[in-house]
Amino acid sequence: MLDRRVLARAYFTHDRLVRHQLDSFNRFIEERLQKVIDEQGIIELDIENTYVILGEVKLDRPKVKEADGTEHLLYPIEARLRNLTYASPIWLKCQVVDEGAPQQEEWVKIGMLPVMVKSKICNLYGVKDTSKFGEDPLDPGGYFIINGSERALVTLEDLAPNKIILEREEKYGEPVEVAKCFSQRSGYRALVVVERNRNNILEVTFPQIPKPIQFVVMMRALGVESDQEIVEMVSEDPEIMKFMLENVEVAEVETQEEAIDYIGRRVAPGQSKEYRIERATQVIDHYFLPHIGTEKEARRAKAFFLARMAEAVFELYLGYRMEDDKDHYANKRLKLAGDLMEEIFRVAFLRLIKDVKYQLERAKVRGRQLRMSTAVRSDVLTDRLMHPMATGNWVGGRTGVSQLIDRHNYMSLLSHLRRVVSPLSRSQPHFEARDLHPTQWGRICPNETPEGPNCGLVKNFAQYAEVSVGVDENEIINVLYSLGVEPIKGR
Amino acid sequence: MTPKRISGIKFEVLSPQEIRRMSVAKIFTPETYSDDGYPIESGLMDPRLGVVDPGLRCRTCGGKAGECPGHFGHIELAAPVIHVGYAKLIARLLNGTCRECGRILLKDERRDKYISQIEKLKELGQNYDEIVKEVFRVTKAVKKCPHCGADQIEVKFEKPTFYYEGDHKLTPKDVRERLEKIPDEDLPAFGIDPKACRPEWFVLTVLPVPPVTVRPSIILETGQRSEDDLTHKLVDIIRINQRFLENKEAGAPQLILEDLWELLQYHVTTYLDNEVSGIPPARHRSGRPLKTLAQRLKGKEGRFRGSLSGKRVNFSARTVISPDPNLSINEVGVPKVIAEELTVPIYVTPNNIEEAREYILRTEHPKANYVIRPDGRRIRVIDANREELAEKLEPGWIVERQLKDGDIVLFNRQPSLHRMSIMAHYVRVLPYKTFRLNPAVCPPYNADFDGDEMNLHVPQSIEAQAEAKILMAVQEHILSPRFGGPIIGGIHDHISGLYLLTRGEKLFSKEEVMELIRPINVEKIPEPKYDGKWTGKQIFSMILPDITLEFKAEICQGCEKCEGENCPHDAYVVIRNGELIKGTIDEKAVGAFKGIIIDEIVRKYGTEEAKKFIDNMTQLAIRAIMFFGFTVGIDDEDIPKEAREQIEEIMNEAEKKVEELIEAYKAGNLEPMPGRSLEETLEMKIMQVLGKARDQAGKIASQYLGMDNAAVIMAVSGARGSMLNLTQMAACIGQQSVRGERIRRGYAYSNRTLPHFKPGDLGARARGFVRSSYKRGLTPVEFFFHAVGGREGLVDTAVRTSQSGYLQRRLINALQDLKVEYDGTVREQTSGIIVQFKYGEDGVDPMKSFRGRGVDVKRIIKEVLAEKEG
Repeated sequence: MLDRRVLARAYFTHDRLVRHQLDSFNRFIEERLQKVIDEQGIIELDIENTYVILGEVKLDRPKVKEADGTEHLLYPIEARLRNLTYASPIWLKCQVVDEGAPQQEEWVKIGMLPVMVKSKICNLYGVKDTSKFGEDPLDPGGYFIINGSERALVTLEDLAPNKIILEREEKYGEPVEVAKCFSQRSGYRALVVVERNRNNILEVTFPQIPKPIQFVVMMRALGVESDQEIVEMVSEDPEIMKFMLENVEVAEVETQEEAIDYIGRRVAPGQSKEYRIERATQVIDHYFLPHIGTEKEARRAKAFFLARMAEAVFELYLGYRMEDDKDHYANKRLKLAGDLMEEIFRVAFLRLIKDVKYQLERAKVRGRQLRMSTAVRSDVLTDRLMHPMATGNWVGGRTGVSQLIDRHNYMSLLSHLRRVVSPLSRSQPHFEARDLHPTQWGRICPNETPEGPNCGLVKNFAQYAEVSVGVDENEIINVLYSLGVEPIKGR
Repeated sequence: MTPKRISGIKFEVLSPQEIRRMSVAKIFTPETYSDDGYPIESGLMDPRLGVVDPGLRCRTCGGKAGECPGHFGHIELAAPVIHVGYAKLIARLLNGTCRECGRILLKDERRDKYISQIEKLKELGQNYDEIVKEVFRVTKAVKKCPHCGADQIEVKFEKPTFYYEGDHKLTPKDVRERLEKIPDEDLPAFGIDPKACRPEWFVLTVLPVPPVTVRPSIILETGQRSEDDLTHKLVDIIRINQRFLENKEAGAPQLILEDLWELLQYHVTTYLDNEVSGIPPARHRSGRPLKTLAQRLKGKEGRFRGSLSGKRVNFSARTVISPDPNLSINEVGVPKVIAEELTVPIYVTPNNIEEAREYILRTEHPKANYVIRPDGRRIRVIDANREELAEKLEPGWIVERQLKDGDIVLFNRQPSLHRMSIMAHYVRVLPYKTFRLNPAVCPPYNADFDGDEMNLHVPQSIEAQAEAKILMAVQEHILSPRFGGPIIGGIHDHISGLYLLTRGEKLFSKEEVMELIRPINVEKIPEPKYDGKWTGKQIFSMILPDITLEFKAEICQGCEKCEGENCPHDAYVVIRNGELIKGTIDEKAVGAFKGIIIDEIVRKYGTEEAKKFIDNMTQLAIRAIMFFGFTVGIDDEDIPKEAREQIEEIMNEAEKKVEELIEAYKAGNLEPMPGRSLEETLEMKIMQVLGKARDQAGKIASQYLGMDNAAVIMAVSGARGSMLNLTQMAACIGQQSVRGERIRRGYAYSNRTLPHFKPGDLGARARGFVRSSYKRGLTPVEFFFHAVGGREGLVDTAVRTSQSGYLQRRLINALQDLKVEYDGTVREQTSGIIVQFKYGEDGVDPMKSFRGRGVDVKRIIKEVLAEKEG
């Protein structure tokens, strides 16, 4: 028989064991960081024709600034010994446009980014013999050094966003079919729910609306007005069409205008009509299925998506398909170090922009020259990055995201860097979620899980597990178009 | 001072007058201390409210810190505010009374009917909540006042403290005015006693300020004062209150006043409860939510659960436990360092003054740590004052002497789920750092030695010590009230040891016998049975008291026709007049939970004798097992090739049968069992076939393993493990299950558990059947399924422990006041309400019952027959 140990040894000759941590962080610094800044694009001021264009972002090597003002490269061991933070300066290219007059482009240091040891911008990257720099040659890296303490970002296991999950729920003693979708767009998460009520009428719930609204009303608000179009968009199955006809029958509005006003009355009761409509359009575009788009043009695509959710609900009701298994690993996504860093960076960066805006406006009022280098207070961003990293209290109230790494022995270190935690509450039983699911084969270790209240919720990667990353949507869309797929009109 | 008896406690609502009456100071200055560090008059630290700083005297009572209990002050609120705690009741009252005339929305006759119903229930001491609830329900529905004819508008209550009448918002002042109008005569219908509380008192106009002793400030190392959360909150209230007053006097616009009013309401609400839903909690500057009144009381660390139901104690110790078979079961080994710290008080009298003096003069182990003078001063005994204290010692002093051998202590392991979780042991001071206990007392504590820790408490009064010795001593708990049998007895090696010793007719020379009974006090040695040699059964008989018993042992095979004394397996135990005549001693005879012999000895000779027997039995057993030698290894599970082939055969056949079942199911030929669907029938049948296959495999394996196999000995004698464990090691592990079903989750979208199988595969292997044995090893797929099944077990234990704790709490809360009186009834302690006329409906003490039954008929018959014969 083939000696498989040969393969195993070959596999582990590289820093495979914490590869996922390093890859994820590298991806963050190489791609996502720029993305977050591009999402923002410009900083608009409350002064006419005055704004800041945000350009390229660049990262330095980890450095330390001494009390006397000198700066030198920082190596991990020095950070550990001197209780420093292993972090790099972030440089951002900015251009202020002052009342239509573009100013000189400048590189501004906007803050310090904690750097993962042995990542691409680490001073140890590519160094063969790290012992020269006082490192343990076997140290895998993959963690951060914050104020001298080594902290790892623990991988978070989450329900897959932007996916329709079908469930059967119990409401008032009756089973109710529900299609849920956690729609996610750059950090914002909106839960959209379509559910069948007792009379087979579909109702839609999403953030910002106080009560569920009828499915047909929502479709009309999205611009699908005629009965026929609504029914056909959902399904061509005669049984489902029958239900849909009932739905159309009881609809409370007939046209898009009425539908939007109807929603307006829900989200802004007692306000003027113009305000109601404005608020309703805003809610529809920004809080309803934001992952498809937040522009008006995306509405038709949203209608198709919503119709698919409706179809799924009826299919489950009619027994054409089964409930989705929430614990199936296909329905899970992992948030690794890079994704987590992106979350705090986005929030910190928005905060910085707010501050810069304030500073620039103040400078303008005082008649000073608008310069980014004076407007940026780099501590604003740095503090908001360091604080979550140092305490583990992430944005959104999650705790224990960054943890002091377990150095009891070499294996406990490796195990810690490969840990995956589920955000489910420890106090409730959640029997199903704690089970070892067959789809975890090859991905999650079947044996390593703590005993006690965290059993089955805290997991570890399987030995040969590799983490794949998402692909840019547009790439796939282009491939599909080139294969002859027709786009949804209006997109 | 003569002690006073509290006959009852009544809760009432403080009226504004009452608050002012008990107040010693009106507080209206938001500052606490002046610049020179003295408390400001009429500030929150007003010296009239009591003292916390040492050296100062209270301006009200003249007491020093520690003596002065503190005194209430009060704040006159500029405008009434709702008390959150009563917000819901206010809402109900508003809806239950007329908005014009304030009368209850019921005709007088109906009102009186409800009132008399409530009175009657009150008299019976029963709960009348239901009726009150009904009154609120009925009155809420009334649209027109039956008294003045005014139309009623429903008052909508919005959490936490807002009331709306249609779109119009009711101010607390409006609310108070309405509540004032409710006449006293109507209140009893709402379950309110008008003498105890008027509903308008639910709207605060005066706020009591708790004494400083309730909210002491702490001085940080930096010398800075840090105020209590309550003080912070009160400062907020006063500040807003003063601002409100000023604005009102200055004639500020209504809008501003309303804003301030709402802010005042917010502060008062969060002062009372900072976790009300609907409003953000008040926070400290650091962002930490403040701990206000309700938070002090609520929850596990709150006043009730944390300070009254349970508290921290002195004279206790905790450390890791380890076994010591040389201790008696009612002893505990206490590390010397702990014994030197824990003390027992000696109340000095003319009779023991010399003994006490000796302890003071001693310089090592059992010496005195402290002496307490009659004036309550505690003096540590050190070299410098030893002589002097010994000299001064007089009756009336208390000497705290170190723990020594023979002292009685309480020993406890959490979770304390039954009364055997705390038992009294006698101290044996030993070297090293762990508590030592006899392994035979592990079962009642549910302890093992994998790092468990236990607590030890030293009873301080003579009464407590006597009670511990008489009621709580280990031997008093050999019989468990859980099931009316022994809970202390032989475990693990004790059982294997006696099994080896007593099985068959093993012979021992004199030297060997002496070696075995060396640690045991045996007074009379019987005549050797064969030619100067004793049998194992004879040796065991030496420690037996005079009892007569007959029973089937654990190893009983359950033959169709029991041969009784002539059992071919030596599984029928016969003990006559304290002599083991036939049968093998195993778990059924001496084990914890089962031990029939122990049971008999306790009942016939009492607990002391039983304790001696258990001590001797465990000593003998350990000697015996060491004499024979006992070991288990991996090769104990080896089975010969032909056995393996047979098992293989069985497995193949079973898998084939499963295939056939599936075929039949698919072809629609499967007959559903009554009350089951076709799928369920198939699953059950498959489980049955596979279960049977494993049993067969196990049987074959055990045939080949034979009765001399150490693992088999442990399994059949009940020492540890089961035949199922052995089957899994030697033959076949069997079906893995999750929640009682075969494993079915997995790649549900293609209807299979793993991609290793074809979609829709229902076969044995695809659904978690493990045909390999632990010895031979599992295939990767089997290994994975085994992990799936194993995970369920882990989760189960984790969830169960947390749930059992909660269940325990609820049970205790429900039953804590019940007591069995001397007349045999079960009554509620305070009210004397009878819960059961006879305890357990049969009056049987479960500890003294015969495995739960009150009378053991067979035993009585046997006893009577024996009397007749003898």
